[in-house]
Amino acid sequence: MKLQHYLGGLEGLDGPLDFEKRVFVEDWEQRIFGIHVALMGLSSSLRDALPGYDLDKVPTVFTSMWTWADLRKGAEAMNPFAYFQYRYYEKWLGGITAYLMDNGYLTARELDAMRDRYRHDPGASLPQFGSEAIDDQVIRYLREGDSPRRGPASPAFAVGDHVTVRNPPTEDHTRLPGYLRGRSGTVERVFESNYAYFCYTGADGLGAPCPVYVVRFDPVQVWGPRAESNAGPLFAELYEVYLSPEPEDSQ
Amino acid sequence: MTAQFSYPSDREESSAAQVRALEALLIEKGVITSGTVDKVLSYFESEMTPLNGRKIVARAWMDPDFAHRLVADTTAAVAELDLPEGMAGAEGEHLAAVMNEPGIHNLVICSLCSCFPWPVLGLPPYWYKNPVFRARAAREPRAVLQELGVSLGPDTEIRVWDSSGHSRWFVVPERPAGTEGMSEEQLAELVTTESMIGVALAKSPADS
Repeated sequence: MKLQHYLGGLEGLDGPLDFEKRVFVEDWEQRIFGIHVALMGLSSSLRDALPGYDLDKVPTVFTSMWTWADLRKGAEAMNPFAYFQYRYYEKWLGGITAYLMDNGYLTARELDAMRDRYRHDPGASLPQFGSEAIDDQVIRYLREGDSPRRGPASPAFAVGDHVTVRNPPTEDHTRLPGYLRGRSGTVERVFESNYAYFCYTGADGLGAPCPVYVVRFDPVQVWGPRAESNAGPLFAELYEVYLSPEPEDSQ
Repeated sequence: MTAQFSYPSDREESSAAQVRALEALLIEKGVITSGTVDKVLSYFESEMTPLNGRKIVARAWMDPDFAHRLVADTTAAVAELDLPEGMAGAEGEHLAAVMNEPGIHNLVICSLCSCFPWPVLGLPPYWYKNPVFRARAAREPRAVLQELGVSLGPDTEIRVWDSSGHSRWFVVPERPAGTEGMSEEQLAELVTTESMIGVALAKSPADS
């Protein structure tokens, strides 16, 4: 069980919120954001993407899959205290570095040597390597994206149906907010298509194209006596694999 | 939160050197080019900024039919407007808008990570990604909004939207009072990023 999967509703975090409106609070954070986007735009998973990217014509040595799911898996695998300790882009930096080493794109020794170099001379320039085809593919990915839409919806549920959120075992990744497990709600909206996910999440159930719903929950049912008084509805977007028909006796 | 943890004194210098080293090695090995990261950042600085969202909201305020279409099929409605190419690109593939109205206030969160409609709102501000905000807003949105300066009457229903699926959500705030004669461009000036996520109201003309 991972705290990161049960963040919504976690108690005891009272105290002033940090209402920091900046997107980046240190200049270096922009660079790890850019690296993340570049790897997503060069990911082997885009070979199956709807825009029809021709990665064979892109002369990058990157041949692996890097998607949001990979970034999220890294964050979800963290020590939960560290998850709170480090800023958003510090977590990205750690996750992306580990991924690139695990997948053989760089070694710890190479990274240490290069880090020492820039540590002693922060103004040292970057190496020179140009390829319009690489840059064009990354920007084309930004403009055309990677829609997970896969064929028309085949929904098991209709608007107004009562559903109960399943409680599947989680392996290393899930898109099911923990606070909804076992809770019952009402289907508010059925999306028009089936949607795939970036990866298969094993017993958790995600991956193959499936319908997606907006499900409406009553906060009193979700939080019990810890719900706010006069709380309005809570809506979550849930993949069908996370839903089951509500048992007859509880309707 | 920071005060609860201790950090090395070279925290930022160390991260800065590490990210520079990563970028240098990725260039040296031929994964990316010397210009890739700059081009990505330029795309967000020049084209995919909250200005797009402000224009979408202003149009919705001016044109009730557009507002209706914006809620019914957000991606298609956004495509009607003269906005940069790529509104349905990365993190805009499937947009979803929810509309504030008298007695109804919407708040978008992502309790699992930081899902955000990049082409509409640009990149997410730090508060949105903060685990404390994400934890608290799911269960006590009224207290959180109050703390952030949004006082809603007890009769206003707060609707929380947790972005756990494929859509990227944003809020169309209510049009402020006293804006009847304003142009679409002037109205767009009243719309903030925070108001399009639901932790603020649009600015009143007196404040802007």
